[in-house]
Amino acid sequence: MFFIGLAALALPIIAHLISRKSGVKLSFPAVSFLVSSQGDLSSRSRIKDIIFLILRALILVFIVLIFAKPAVFSFSEKVDNTPKSIAIVIDNSFSMGYENNFGKAKKKAHDIIDAIADGSFSFVAPLVKTNEKQLDVIQDKSRLRGALQNIKLSNGFSDNERRLQDIYSKLLKTPNQIKRVVFITDLQKNGWKDEKFDPPWLDVIDISQTSETANHAVADVDLRYEENSTTIKAQVSNYSSDSLSGLITTFSFDEKEIREGIDVEPHGSSSLGVSFESGDLVVSHGTVSTTHDKLKIDDIRYFISDGPDSNSKILIVDGDPREDSRLSESYYLAQALETISEISGTQVTILDNDAFLREDLSNFEVIYLANVGELTPRITKQLEVFIEKGGSAVIFLGNSTRASSYNVLLKNILPGEIIGIAEGSTSITAVDNSGWFSKEIADKMAQVKIEKRYNIRPHPGSEAIINTSGDSPLLIGKQKGNGNVYLFTSTADNSWNNFSITPVFLPIIKRINDSPISGRNKSRQYLVNQSVEIETAEDAKSIVVVDPQGEKYEIDRGNNEFRQTRVPGIYTVESDGEYSYIFAVNIDSSESNLEKLPDSSFGKQPDQKTSLVKVFKEVWSYFLWGVIALFVSESVFRAIFS
Amino acid sequence: MSNSVLDIDTAIKLKGFSFRAASKVSGYKSGIHKSYYTGISPDFSEHKQYNKGDELKQIDWRLYGRHDRLYVKKFEDEVNMRWCILIDKSLSMDYGDKSYNKFEYAKRLAATLSYLLLKQGDSVGIIGFSESGIDIVPPRSGSSFITPIVDKLNQLKPEGTTALEEPIIKALEVYRSDAAFVIVSDFWLEAEAIERTIKLARNSKKDISLFHVLHPDETDFKFKGSIEFEDLETNTKVIVDTDSLRHTYIKRIGEFIARLKDICHENETNYVLSPTNESIEKPLIQIADK
Repeated sequence: MFFIGLAALALPIIAHLISRKSGVKLSFPAVSFLVSSQGDLSSRSRIKDIIFLILRALILVFIVLIFAKPAVFSFSEKVDNTPKSIAIVIDNSFSMGYENNFGKAKKKAHDIIDAIADGSFSFVAPLVKTNEKQLDVIQDKSRLRGALQNIKLSNGFSDNERRLQDIYSKLLKTPNQIKRVVFITDLQKNGWKDEKFDPPWLDVIDISQTSETANHAVADVDLRYEENSTTIKAQVSNYSSDSLSGLITTFSFDEKEIREGIDVEPHGSSSLGVSFESGDLVVSHGTVSTTHDKLKIDDIRYFISDGPDSNSKILIVDGDPREDSRLSESYYLAQALETISEISGTQVTILDNDAFLREDLSNFEVIYLANVGELTPRITKQLEVFIEKGGSAVIFLGNSTRASSYNVLLKNILPGEIIGIAEGSTSITAVDNSGWFSKEIADKMAQVKIEKRYNIRPHPGSEAIINTSGDSPLLIGKQKGNGNVYLFTSTADNSWNNFSITPVFLPIIKRINDSPISGRNKSRQYLVNQSVEIETAEDAKSIVVVDPQGEKYEIDRGNNEFRQTRVPGIYTVESDGEYSYIFAVNIDSSESNLEKLPDSSFGKQPDQKTSLVKVFKEVWSYFLWGVIALFVSESVFRAIFS
Repeated sequence: MSNSVLDIDTAIKLKGFSFRAASKVSGYKSGIHKSYYTGISPDFSEHKQYNKGDELKQIDWRLYGRHDRLYVKKFEDEVNMRWCILIDKSLSMDYGDKSYNKFEYAKRLAATLSYLLLKQGDSVGIIGFSESGIDIVPPRSGSSFITPIVDKLNQLKPEGTTALEEPIIKALEVYRSDAAFVIVSDFWLEAEAIERTIKLARNSKKDISLFHVLHPDETDFKFKGSIEFEDLETNTKVIVDTDSLRHTYIKRIGEFIARLKDICHENETNYVLSPTNESIEKPLIQIADK
C-alpha cells in the first residue's frame, strides 16, 4: 500500500511535465509578441510551477502516509508492572575501570531501578565485596539509588559464579514469584570458572562497547640480589592483538629511576631486567610502571626489597655423592634448583650426609634430603624446629634409606610410616583434589615410570599428592607447624624411576620450593583483598597499618589479620607508633586480561537480555493536519500568483 | 471574373462617398482631387491682379466694381488620383476562419476600395507583397478595370513573411508622380521598420493610409489554458499559459497599436484599425470624404 502510494508520487511530476507540453496546438500570427510577453512572466511562472509541484507532491505523499498509518518507534526499557525480586549486581572488578565502563554500568543500573515495578523487592550489590555495608532487600528506590552510588570500583576480583549464587540466595527469602539477578558487566573472561554459567534467574547486560579491549600490564616483578647490585626483573604482558613496540617501562627503586623500552608480542609476555647498585638501605621498596593505557591500575607494580639476605636458601643433602656429579643422587635436583634459581634468585647449598649432620639448618628455607642414610637425634630435632618455623623439608628415599631409623627419628616429621620396598613398573597419577597441578602437567605424568619405591602408610593429616597406579602414594605431604614436609617414596635420581628426566619434575620442585615462601611471605608481596597476617613483637601494645592513601587501621591484638588491602601500594606497619616494616599489595594481574566471554556463554546474546523494547507511536494524524495545511498553502499561493 | 472579394453591399452603401488623398496631388485628369495647378475646377482658390494674358472671363467684375481694380479669380484644378493599394499576402495574414480570415478581409477591403476609387474616376493599382515576392497590377482607371483587379486579388495566395520596405520601394518606382498608398496589413513588424517605411513614402510625397487588419484573437487573446502556439510565418513554437499571459499580452498589443498611431500621426498618415470581426464599411468610411 505504502509503495503503491509512493508510485502515485510520480503523478504530479508527470502532470507537471505534461503541462509543460500542452496538448492544444495553435498556429498564431503574433507569436513574437507572445514570446516577448512571456519573457516577463517566465521566471515568475517557473517559481510558481515549482511551488505548486512541491505542494501537490507533498499533498499526495501525506495522503499516502495517512492511509499507510506509519508509526515511529523508539527503544525503551521494557515496562513490566509485575512485582519482582531483583538483585542488581554491578561488576566492580578492576577491569571495569577500562574507559568508562564502570560509570556506564551504574547509569544502566540507575535506569533499571527507575523501571522496577512497585511492590518489587530489590537490592544493589557489587560483584567484588567491599567493606561498605551491604544493603538488604528493600522496596525503597531512593535507598537503592543511594546504595548504587556507594558502590566503588574494586581493585580485586571475585569468584563470579559463587558471588552471583550468594546474591540470588538472598532473593529466595522474598515473597515475589519472579526472582531475577541482573548482572551488569564487561563480560571479561577472568573471574568465570565456568564459561557456560547460565542459570535461568540471571540476566546479563554487557556494558562494554567493543569486543577487543587492548590492555597491557606489569604482570610480575622479581628481585635478585648480587653482591653489589640488585636486579629487578619485570614481566610485561600484552593482552591485545597488536604488538607493543618500545613500551616505556620505568623502574623506580632506592630513589633512582631507570627507563627502558620493551617489545611485547600480541597476547604474549616479555621480561626486562635492570640492575641498581646496592645502597645502604636494607629494606626498601620500589615500583615498575609502564606508560598508561585505558586501564591504568595494572600499569604499575609495587615491590619490597628485603636485601641480599632475603634470597631463598636451599639445602640439598646428597646421601650418595659421587665424584662425577652426574652420577650423584642430587644431580637432577641441583639442576632443577639451578634453573629455578635463575628465575627467583635462590641460593643452593649441597652437602653430603656427614656435613649435613653438622649443619645449622636455621639458615635454610627448604631442605632436600636425597637418599640420606644416617640421621642423628640432634639433626632430626633441628629439622623438626626448622619445619615448625615455616621451612619445607623434602625427603627422597633410596637404597641408603634405613626405614626403621626414619620411622623412629623422623616420627614427628614424616607424613607416613615407611613400610617396605615395592618393585615393579608402575605409572603415576596426580591426585585430583591436591590442586597442585595444571591439567597439562597432570597429563604429562603419564610419561613417568616408577620401577621401585617404598610403600607408605600415611599418617592422619597427611595428603597424597601423587599416587602410583595402585593408589600407593608416590608423593605425600603434611603440614607441620608453619612448615611442610613432603615425602617422595622413590629416588631423586633415575636409578629407581625416570621421574627426574620427565617434564613434570621441574614444576613439582618449583611448587615445593615456593611453598615456604608463600607460607612465610618473606618478600611481603600480597594481592588486593588478600588477608595479611601482621607480624609484630609480642609485647607491642598497639599495631597500626597505614595504607598507601594514609589511612590508619588499628590491628586487634587477638587477631593479627589485616583485611583492608583494598588499594595497591606500599603499606606500613607501625608498632607502638614506631616503624616496624612494610609490605606491598598489588592487583592480581590475571584480571588484566580483558578478553571477553564468547557470546554463546549465556545461552542468549547478552544484548537480548537488556529488556529494551520498541515502542511504536502512530503519526498519521500529523500527516492529516499536514494535508490540510498544504491545501490552505496552495490556495494562498494561487491567490498570490493569480 | 469572380466577384467574391468585392463587397457589393458595402460598395453600394459607400457610393455617395468620395475618397480623397489627404494632401494635394499633381494629377493630369480632371477629377475630384485638388491639383497644385489652378484651372477648370469650380472650387475658388484666390484672387490675383489681372495681368496681360489672363482670360477675360476670369475677371471678377464685382470686385472691380467695389475696388476699381481688375482681379482675376483663380480656381483649384481638380485632378484624377492614382491609388496604389498594397495588400500584405504574408502567411501571418492567413489567420482566422473564413468569415474573420485576415487575408480574405484584406482582399475584400482592397477590392471594394478599388471599386469605389475607380468609380470616382481615379486610377488604381494593386501590389500584393510579402518577403516571398511582389505581385503588381499597374494602375489604371475606368470602372472596367475592377475586373483585372479582382482577378488579381483572387489569385493572391498567402506566402512568406511580412516585408514592407521592399514593396514600398517597388511601389515608389511604379508610382513616380503623386499617388496615394493604401497599405492593408497586420503589420507584424518592428515599429521602427514601419516608421522607416512610412517616412520613405512620405518623403516621396505619397499620401499614405494604413489599414491595420487584426483578428479578434490577436487583440482580445481569449484563449484558455495552456496552448502551444506556432508562428504562422517562422514556425516558432511556444507553450503559453494563456490565463497568466493574457493581461501582459493585451497590454503589449495596445502599446504596439498606440505606437503605430503615433508614427502615423507624426507622418500625416491615416491609421485605421480594421478588426476582421467588423464590416469593412467602418474602416473605409474613415478615409472617405464625408
